[in-house]
Amino acid sequence: MKKLVYLYIVLTACISCDDYLDIKPVGQVIPSSVEDYRSFLTSAYSIKNLDKILTTYRGDELQLNPDSPGVEQYTDIYIWNDENPSPLRRSFPYASFYSIIFYCNHIIESKNEITGDSGAIDELVGEAYALRAMQYFRLVNLYAKPYERTTADQDPAIPIVTKYQTDVDYPVNSVQEVYDLILNDLNRAEDLIGVAKQEVGLNYRFSKVAVKAFQTRVYLYQNEWQKAIDHANAALSLHSELQDLNADVSHMPSEYNSVESILALETVASFDTANNTTIADDLIGIYDQSTDLRFDLYFRPISGGGFRSKKNADTKFKVSYRTSELYLIKAEALARLGQTEAATDPLLELAKHRYTPEGFLTYQQNTEVLNDEELLSAILEERRKEFAIEGHRWFDLRRTTQAKITKTYDGQLYTLEKNDLRYVIPIPNDAIINNPDL
Amino acid sequence: MLFIPVFTTAQQKQKMVSGTVVDAAMNMPIPGASVYISSSMVGSKAKEEGILDGAMLGTTTDFDGYFELKIDDTVKSLVVSYMGFKSKTIDVSGSTQNLTIVLEESTQNLNEVLITGYQKIEKRKATSAYSTIDVSEIQQAGVATVDQMLTGQLPGVFVQPTSGAPGAPSKISIRGTATLNGSSDPLWVLDGIPLEGEDIPKDFRDKDNIDNLQSFPVAGLNPEDIESITVLKDAAATSIYGARAANGVIVITSKSGKKGGMRISASANAFITQKPDYSKLNLMNASQKVDFELFLASREDLTYQKNRGEVARILNSYNSYDTFQNNGFSALDSEVQNAINNLRTRNTNWGGELYQMAVNQQYSLSISGGNDQNTYYLSAGIFDEKGSTIGTGQQRYNITLKDNFNLNDDFKVGVSVFASQNKTFSYITGADSYTNPAYYARNANPYLRLTDDQGNYVYDPDLVERSDLNLNYNILEERRNTSHDLVANSVKSILNAAYDLTDDLHFSTQLGLQFDFNRTEKFSDRNSYYTRKYRQRSRYAGPTGDAYYMPEGGIIQNWNTDVFQYNWKTTANYNTTFNNLHELDVMLGTEFRRNKTEEIQTKGFGYNPNTLTTIPITDERALTNSLFDPLNKRFNENAFASFFGTASYTYDRKYTLFSSLRYDGSNLFGVNPKYRYLPIWSVAGSWNVHQESFMQAFAMVSNLKLRASYGIQGNIDKSTSPYVLGIYDNVSILPGVNEEIIQAQGAPNPDLRWEKTKSTNVGLDLGLFNNKLYVTADYYYRKSTDLIGLRAVPLESGYNFINTNWGTVSNRGFELAINTINISNANFKWTSGLNISHNKSIVEDIQIREENFKPSLKGYSANAIFALKTAGLDSNGLPVFWKDGKKVSAVDFYNLEEGTDGSQLTNQEHRDLYSYVGDGAPLFSGGFRNTFQYKQFDLRILSNFILKQTVQAAPSYYPTLARPGTNYSTEILNAGTGNLPALIGANSPGFNTDLVYSWYNSFDAGRTYDDLDIWVKDMSYIRISSIRLSYSVPTKQLDKFNISRLNFNVEGRNLFVFGSDYDGFFDPETYGSLYAQPIPKVISAGFNLTF
Repeated sequence: MKKLVYLYIVLTACISCDDYLDIKPVGQVIPSSVEDYRSFLTSAYSIKNLDKILTTYRGDELQLNPDSPGVEQYTDIYIWNDENPSPLRRSFPYASFYSIIFYCNHIIESKNEITGDSGAIDELVGEAYALRAMQYFRLVNLYAKPYERTTADQDPAIPIVTKYQTDVDYPVNSVQEVYDLILNDLNRAEDLIGVAKQEVGLNYRFSKVAVKAFQTRVYLYQNEWQKAIDHANAALSLHSELQDLNADVSHMPSEYNSVESILALETVASFDTANNTTIADDLIGIYDQSTDLRFDLYFRPISGGGFRSKKNADTKFKVSYRTSELYLIKAEALARLGQTEAATDPLLELAKHRYTPEGFLTYQQNTEVLNDEELLSAILEERRKEFAIEGHRWFDLRRTTQAKITKTYDGQLYTLEKNDLRYVIPIPNDAIINNPDL
Repeated sequence: MLFIPVFTTAQQKQKMVSGTVVDAAMNMPIPGASVYISSSMVGSKAKEEGILDGAMLGTTTDFDGYFELKIDDTVKSLVVSYMGFKSKTIDVSGSTQNLTIVLEESTQNLNEVLITGYQKIEKRKATSAYSTIDVSEIQQAGVATVDQMLTGQLPGVFVQPTSGAPGAPSKISIRGTATLNGSSDPLWVLDGIPLEGEDIPKDFRDKDNIDNLQSFPVAGLNPEDIESITVLKDAAATSIYGARAANGVIVITSKSGKKGGMRISASANAFITQKPDYSKLNLMNASQKVDFELFLASREDLTYQKNRGEVARILNSYNSYDTFQNNGFSALDSEVQNAINNLRTRNTNWGGELYQMAVNQQYSLSISGGNDQNTYYLSAGIFDEKGSTIGTGQQRYNITLKDNFNLNDDFKVGVSVFASQNKTFSYITGADSYTNPAYYARNANPYLRLTDDQGNYVYDPDLVERSDLNLNYNILEERRNTSHDLVANSVKSILNAAYDLTDDLHFSTQLGLQFDFNRTEKFSDRNSYYTRKYRQRSRYAGPTGDAYYMPEGGIIQNWNTDVFQYNWKTTANYNTTFNNLHELDVMLGTEFRRNKTEEIQTKGFGYNPNTLTTIPITDERALTNSLFDPLNKRFNENAFASFFGTASYTYDRKYTLFSSLRYDGSNLFGVNPKYRYLPIWSVAGSWNVHQESFMQAFAMVSNLKLRASYGIQGNIDKSTSPYVLGIYDNVSILPGVNEEIIQAQGAPNPDLRWEKTKSTNVGLDLGLFNNKLYVTADYYYRKSTDLIGLRAVPLESGYNFINTNWGTVSNRGFELAINTINISNANFKWTSGLNISHNKSIVEDIQIREENFKPSLKGYSANAIFALKTAGLDSNGLPVFWKDGKKVSAVDFYNLEEGTDGSQLTNQEHRDLYSYVGDGAPLFSGGFRNTFQYKQFDLRILSNFILKQTVQAAPSYYPTLARPGTNYSTEILNAGTGNLPALIGANSPGFNTDLVYSWYNSFDAGRTYDDLDIWVKDMSYIRISSIRLSYSVPTKQLDKFNISRLNFNVEGRNLFVFGSDYDGFFDPETYGSLYAQPIPKVISAGFNLTF
């Protein structure tokens, strides 16, 4: 019997408590390997945001009908009523951007602890930088004034968070600081990402060309024309194909599997945009329905008149950057620099892929006679046509003329004045409640 | 031991010992008492030599308490023992014939030692606050589990039934709540093994918590197998259990065999569960309801669901609604008048349709006995109860086996097995609260018939899904075509071994295993409301209108849960005394525990109960609807390693110092390394004042002891980690590519500290007049700091909420228990036990959530109730409120104006509308127990009481939503008088009525109407929980049947409740809950037989 007692003492001395307690729960994990972190980043990529859809309601591309199902979610956005919106109104995304930023920050902060192939780690961390930059770009363009070099360091934007901390304040940073962070992040992403182009299906992930395309857009929004041109050229040198609608109208050029796709990440359309709204007459009016091949591809007529968008909630309509945008940015930037001739080339290159041959001839003839100002308008109009219901319009309006918009809804006229303060969306209430610094 | 003489029959002369054993109080013979030679007198060697056989070692007394025993001449003494009496050693060296041996009842027998589950501490050395009760004192017929029996029986232990349903648990809180959102359940320990089981849900006003069947820790134990219950309350008592004991510990000691002859004991009870008094609900009868519907129809402004209800249907079918509204009842055709008046006579007996009187039964049988080498206890029990709500019930089968072997003087082993099957039956309710019978009973129209003249089901025309869709609910059909049951199989087994290394040093080890297999099945056949309702969830727009992807047929849902745990603990005890003054007891130990839970949930659709076949769902829309997931599995494993020690030093039997320390470690995954091992400790002391010489002057003081203790307990939230924890999932971002993802789970918080509870206890044990009056009093103060809770954080962090240390709660209170023997003589004995407790919790610190509509608890009780103070009604019947000492109209109070949409009040202003109106925990709670013994009769009365508990009921009606289609409490008939707000519509007359209407109807997001003080009241009551009369047949008459004891008993449970009125609800305990089943009144009769 004594032996048993001694045996027990020896046994318990041998069992290491830490081993006994080291239970790995099924289905739970603390990411450590690059594979774990890849799944972790995929999780961040999979977070959907409705910003592009809601700003489409806020812009001038749609016509809302008070009788449509679920219209109360959008009415106040549509008529720019931010003061006392209905409780049913959809809230602009805010927390979900910071949720993605949390994922990216965690990957960036842990980059030295991730185990595995160093090439894969660089790729992953580079993507995290780019994805973080993208969230800040979306935030700053929703909730702050458009970039204006002279005032950017005074214009309040949103708080910058680059690491996870508890019990800290989140003061608001300026537009300049946010843009600096974005460009900084994109530079690092550029250094780290090795993949030139992602294959179809994985092209929700950032690649070298996606980072370039993103930089091009950032410079466009900053009115840095030359830099926009340089980056557009750099991106086009990696990927310049355009989908020729004369040859292939099996899918839209904005779809994820189009040859034009550079990054297919952001959700730009929903069930409601496809089924419970019609396209604004203004927008319909600018298309030449007989020669513009996009018209039938993008829109469908409905009984009783009017058109609806064909883009719906299907994930194939995800899009962030595509080659057409590079052509149009290049054209716009050149035009703004007064290089009218050079600006015409990319515009016509795109037009060739968009109009019937006869239509293109007319278009070409019309374009060649335009003066500087007219050409710029033509480029912007082409942008409007190309990116209809693709989440660009509100932001293009903001960064260009901040034009006056009028809408008639339920028999009443609503106006967004030129340079109206409501071109900046108020930060959502739930964010303000939780952060007294906003 | 080798020197003990070896006995042999040949060598030794023998002598005969004979005598009678009687009890001291009544001078009655004690049959079945054991008379034996203790092995310590003979030595274990003797047995090994096979010289003395068992029969010669001892005997038991016969029915006259008489015994004869042949023993060796050299034996000097015998031991006489009987359960419930103090054992006595008698000298048999001299006279050995016709001895009279008087055994004294050991009323304090159980209290002689404190059983903590780790140690047995002699009472004189105990320093902690605990309460013990012998289960035989509180045993009630027809009560399935021991938790219900504890109601009001132990000071500081607040037990409240959650529902009257069979198998429903009682909510127990010991000395208040030490947590703000964690479980406040105490830890149940069976013979040293902590039991696993589900937490008891916090809020029993929630329908799902009442309707779900769950398996709770003590549900499988038969109270007949339990000897005693000890509740450990202060830190000195509970800290040995570590982190899990923050809410107190309830230690169950099961019955064991006793040395002596075999005893067979059988008991049987039949109990009749009374049909509850449906009229307690104060519902309108058919005539009142018809008048009410006519009243609504006459009011042009009350249009809510105006086409519902039989009266509206009759009026509409004759196109007379407007006629009635404009010109009154007399303007109606006589045909219409008759049709309406006929309704008045159609009173469906809902009380009879939903509730029943049920005859139930309970049996148990036990066999026990033992000798020096072995004691055994075997029992079997059957409990079968049908609930007073038709369709509910519980059946339990128990088998218990306990066997203890003394292998030799130093080595003892014991084994126990507790096996049970516990089936609970209930009704099935879906997402729809209407189908809860208790709720439906309140809402079904009194004139609604359940079957038509041909016996076909009549569906409730007013229980509609949408204005264009009725899913056809009939409670009889539902009961017939659905079932919901839980079968909980449980085996708990315990293996003990104890070894004495030296006289002072003892080792013991205990391995406990618990296996629980729980199977829940919900079945609904194709013809049931549940199935029809479920099917609606699969609706989609098909090419030709609505289509459903759920196949036709029944639905079968199963939840299978396997729980396994082992608990292995080993202790070394060193007990020594030196110089006859110093006593030292030291214990060191280790404990390893591991548990695994595996749960599989399956769902089958298109189920046919005759062929047991299901139909797979092929539509891909079902893939994204978790309601149609065919299988779900969950697995969870935890491990715990603990090291502990206690030391106790006693000087001169007067002064004791005690301290304990325990380190608890648990799964390391994701836990902050700082908190891997939590130290939990306590120190305590006691002073046996009555041992002091100066106390000899006070002869009446038989016992006086002062106690004090202090300790720290802790708990860490394991769901929060300093690391980013992830869970796996799958996602498809772009078409055709499916990838594994890791989602971040919860916000990491490296700064999270553990919750700490510091407890201080001072106590007094006072026995007067030879302990005929025994008082135990305790005062305690517990302060829990760094309580963990969810706090809103800036969204920029990436999260909405984070678990942080955000509150401090203190509990202080006192407990008083007075046990008296009021009268004790040969024929009559009267004993009483009174206990009363008071606990006051205060939330000393808590972080406010900005988004809250209700005020912060800071400075108030953790169960504080806040309400809007009303001051009657204005001339339009709208509520008038108190604001800053002035009466203001609802319009001013809520700051209403045209276009008000809820944003006119900031959340802070909204919070300021409220005033504190009372504590949801009672000011005093307790119980009073009286036992009278007169000759062969025993009468026992148990009661429990609550003084001043603030309760809040769900409103009996909403003024803007008066529905003609459902029944109401008669309170609605008085709407607009007294305090009860008038019924209003959008166009009701009166100044600003429209503002108040749209406020309550649409914009009152904080639902302040529910919080008007008219729904709040203070409750005090005393419930006579049991009156039991039993008669023991005199032993003389039992002689010839070879029976040693027979008694008959009748008992009435829950017959009376006195106190505040609780009109509108079945019971004061469940006041305010619309879903709770009534607590039944039960009459039982039975017998106990021992031979």
